[in-house]
Amino acid sequence: MSSFLVISIIIIYLAVIFYVAYWAEKNSKSKWVNNPYVYTLSLAVYCTAWTYYGSVGLAATSGLKFLTIYLGPIIIIPSWIILMRKIIRISKGNKISSLADFISLRYGNDRFLGALVTLICVFAIVPYISLQLKAISETFNVITNHNIGGNSIIDDTTFYIAILLAIFAAFFGTQHTDATERHKGIITAVALESVIKLVFFLAIGIYVTFYLFNGPVDIYNKASLLPDFKQQQSINGLEGGFNWFFLSLLSMIAIMLLPRQFQVTVVENEREKYLKKVTWLFPLYLLLFNIFVIFIAWGGNIIFQNQGVDADLFTLMLPLKNNHEFLALLVFLGGFSAAISMVVVSTLTLSTMLSNNLIIPYGFLSKYSKGESEQNSGSIKKIRRVSIFSLIIVAYFFYKYFTLDRSLVSIGLISFVIIAQLAPSFFGGLFWRRGSSKGSKYGIFVGFFVAIYTLVIPFAIDSQLITSSFVNEGLFGVNLLKPYELFGIQILEPVPHAFFWSLFLNIITYTITSVNIVGKYRERNFAEMFVDSSKYAALHENAYVWKGEAYVKDLRKVLTRFLGEKRTERALNLFYMKYDIDKNSPYADARLVNFSEKLLTGSIGSASSRILIASVVKEEEISLTEVLSILEETQKAKESNKELHERDKQKNEFLDTVAHELKTPITSIRALSEILLDNDDVDNLTKKKFLTSILKESERVSRLINNILDLEKLATGKEKLELKQHSIKKTIQKSIDAVTQFAENHRIYINSEGVNDAEIMYDDDRIQQVIINLLSNAIKFSNKEKGKVSIFTYINQNKIEVSVEDNGKGIGKEDLIYIFNKFYQAKNQTILKPVGSGLGLAISKQIIESHNGIIWAENRNPQGARLTFALPFKTNTI
Amino acid sequence: MKKRHQQKLIVLSILLLCMFNIPILLIFNNSVTFMGFPLIYFYIFFVWIASIVISYIILKKYYE
Repeated sequence: MSSFLVISIIIIYLAVIFYVAYWAEKNSKSKWVNNPYVYTLSLAVYCTAWTYYGSVGLAATSGLKFLTIYLGPIIIIPSWIILMRKIIRISKGNKISSLADFISLRYGNDRFLGALVTLICVFAIVPYISLQLKAISETFNVITNHNIGGNSIIDDTTFYIAILLAIFAAFFGTQHTDATERHKGIITAVALESVIKLVFFLAIGIYVTFYLFNGPVDIYNKASLLPDFKQQQSINGLEGGFNWFFLSLLSMIAIMLLPRQFQVTVVENEREKYLKKVTWLFPLYLLLFNIFVIFIAWGGNIIFQNQGVDADLFTLMLPLKNNHEFLALLVFLGGFSAAISMVVVSTLTLSTMLSNNLIIPYGFLSKYSKGESEQNSGSIKKIRRVSIFSLIIVAYFFYKYFTLDRSLVSIGLISFVIIAQLAPSFFGGLFWRRGSSKGSKYGIFVGFFVAIYTLVIPFAIDSQLITSSFVNEGLFGVNLLKPYELFGIQILEPVPHAFFWSLFLNIITYTITSVNIVGKYRERNFAEMFVDSSKYAALHENAYVWKGEAYVKDLRKVLTRFLGEKRTERALNLFYMKYDIDKNSPYADARLVNFSEKLLTGSIGSASSRILIASVVKEEEISLTEVLSILEETQKAKESNKELHERDKQKNEFLDTVAHELKTPITSIRALSEILLDNDDVDNLTKKKFLTSILKESERVSRLINNILDLEKLATGKEKLELKQHSIKKTIQKSIDAVTQFAENHRIYINSEGVNDAEIMYDDDRIQQVIINLLSNAIKFSNKEKGKVSIFTYINQNKIEVSVEDNGKGIGKEDLIYIFNKFYQAKNQTILKPVGSGLGLAISKQIIESHNGIIWAENRNPQGARLTFALPFKTNTI
Repeated sequence: MKKRHQQKLIVLSILLLCMFNIPILLIFNNSVTFMGFPLIYFYIFFVWIASIVISYIILKKYYE
């Protein structure tokens, strides 16, 4: 294919991608941009050109092993429902814009740690970006049939592509100064590219499997005749198993900690609930991507047997060899998509890290503390843009002037191992309060140097064809120091070997330092906030302990320098409203200090914002114990506040009901009295009727008031029970006598045959009150026609149970628990006039409980209700 | 989502970690072929698909 044609197609393709990104940025509220599918697809930036070409290469040369890179993510993703959600919540709560910010904030806004993490990431990822450029350039050469790319930069197409990508990333990546703003344009473009790369890869997979061969079985049969086949398609015993284990562990870390993954998963996350889709959809995406890999690899092995074709290029060579140039072009575009989305997202996130965690905190702070808001945000954006260009250009030169002669996979894995050095600090910081910044720094240093020693140096020696005895004989000829067999461990391959040693020593250093050196109070404060995020998230700004002197005026000035007059004003207004603080107070409290820090974090990184804010406030040192106790207090205050609020609400409801209950009888008393007073000519009969009503209603009022007083006395324990030995049978009989008249009025028969006798300590009057209450309730609710109420007892060694049954329609299932509440009257009563004051059962419950007994209600079969109370023989109440 | 249901997914994660590693993986690491394929590929992809289906069902049912 002519290179002119391919170049124009690339340009058209890039134009489309630019347009999509532009459109998404313009329509950032559209549902095409904000949905879980775009989010999930953007996560597929994990599948780079390395997946596209390298997986096939690895599958062709070493069989199964390529799967480990994807099995790690598959294993860890279900746990994201807790793990990733926690990370996302912390990041959103603290306006974290990158991995470096996350780690540096966790360890107390540590400036040096942020810079260290940034450097590690740059060191790991820049070669990885070079790798993508290399993939673009190689495949371009293959498809245009060039043997070698132009030697000078001017002739090299890849150079121009790199520049275009830098423009893309710089344009869409620095629209806002606040790096925590989502980059909708880039993400949408990446999602689109994820679709493209998957579709084209599936196309080539189907083509190889079903067009070039007759389905999977055919390929397998032919491939199994190849030498080494059996050995490749299996795990090499325990040794292979260990390598397999470490590689899947490595990819598990990579899916979470690669800077670009952190960017798309955490920073670009619009809504937490998108995780729901990701959890199953992303593994499905990876599955589709991997399902044809072995077939392409086997197909390539069969067709290019002994022809010396680079296995990494099988995907592209297979259609080319069969003269299907169009298909080859699609494959090329798929690989191109995979490469450029990785390049764009990686440079974007690295540039944020470089500006917010390295360049600004170490170089520009003093300048910013004097500048105006427009100058400052312009300058911040400029730093990021320059970073993006420099990163891509450095990556380009790295690719150009270092022979990256190894397969795609190996450089990628080296990046993984270096990034994995951040894992102990990251996950340790998430779950372990005591993990300290010193531990984190030392751990990263140690791990990094071990990784350099066991992997990067030998790899550089190999790939640059330097002659050295270092690899074969070890440092200074000491065999135990052989980089690939450190301390004589021979069973691991170089990458798992380096991964094991570096991470092992890293973790050991991190933990030992952390438990031996006491951290500063500030980092412990953040540790609490991260580890117990769900607890402290509710406290918002209160979760930050700070003591000292600060003025609103100073803080406002600093904020204005970065956010501008308007946004500062708006943010502060919101803040004042949220906490209900007096706007005119000149003093700032801990909450405002913390709030200001957070506001700035998005723009200049956590470390810089801390330094800037610290420069205008006077902070007093606090001891670690003080921090912890203050945190605990705020926590408790919050909880007890909630409780008070709840109690207040209950009391209000109670008062409402009481007022209502009092109002009804009083209104009618008043109305009737008014009539009697105004009309002298009321006849005697009516007068009598009215007066009877008035009397009845006033009785009702006084009963209600008595009940309320009763309840109050019982509830507060003001009234003492007169506990004496009594016969329960006698008490029951007395109660029955009291309601006999009432029962006869209702034509109801009270059956007390099941009552046995026992002597027990209780307050006779009170228990009578309870029984009378239960009996009169039962009478009221009994069947109107053939009403029957029975009372019986059940006595054993520990307690006496007294039950009252009726044969009415029973109690609604949903009411069973609530009928003992004050003023609770079952639903069906609201239409009718309520029977009784609504306090009877509440009082009964109170009485029984002060006897240390219990009372409950249940329904009988087939109809009726049974209310029972139980009194213990051994009562400890006074 | 209730804690109990979240923990189902965590259990799935742990299960996958075991299923995709030695020693369980070694059970399928032999020269037996299934429909003309190495058994181990079938095993891995089967577990993979099963994990997708299981997490889909759990989330569909319990995610609020």
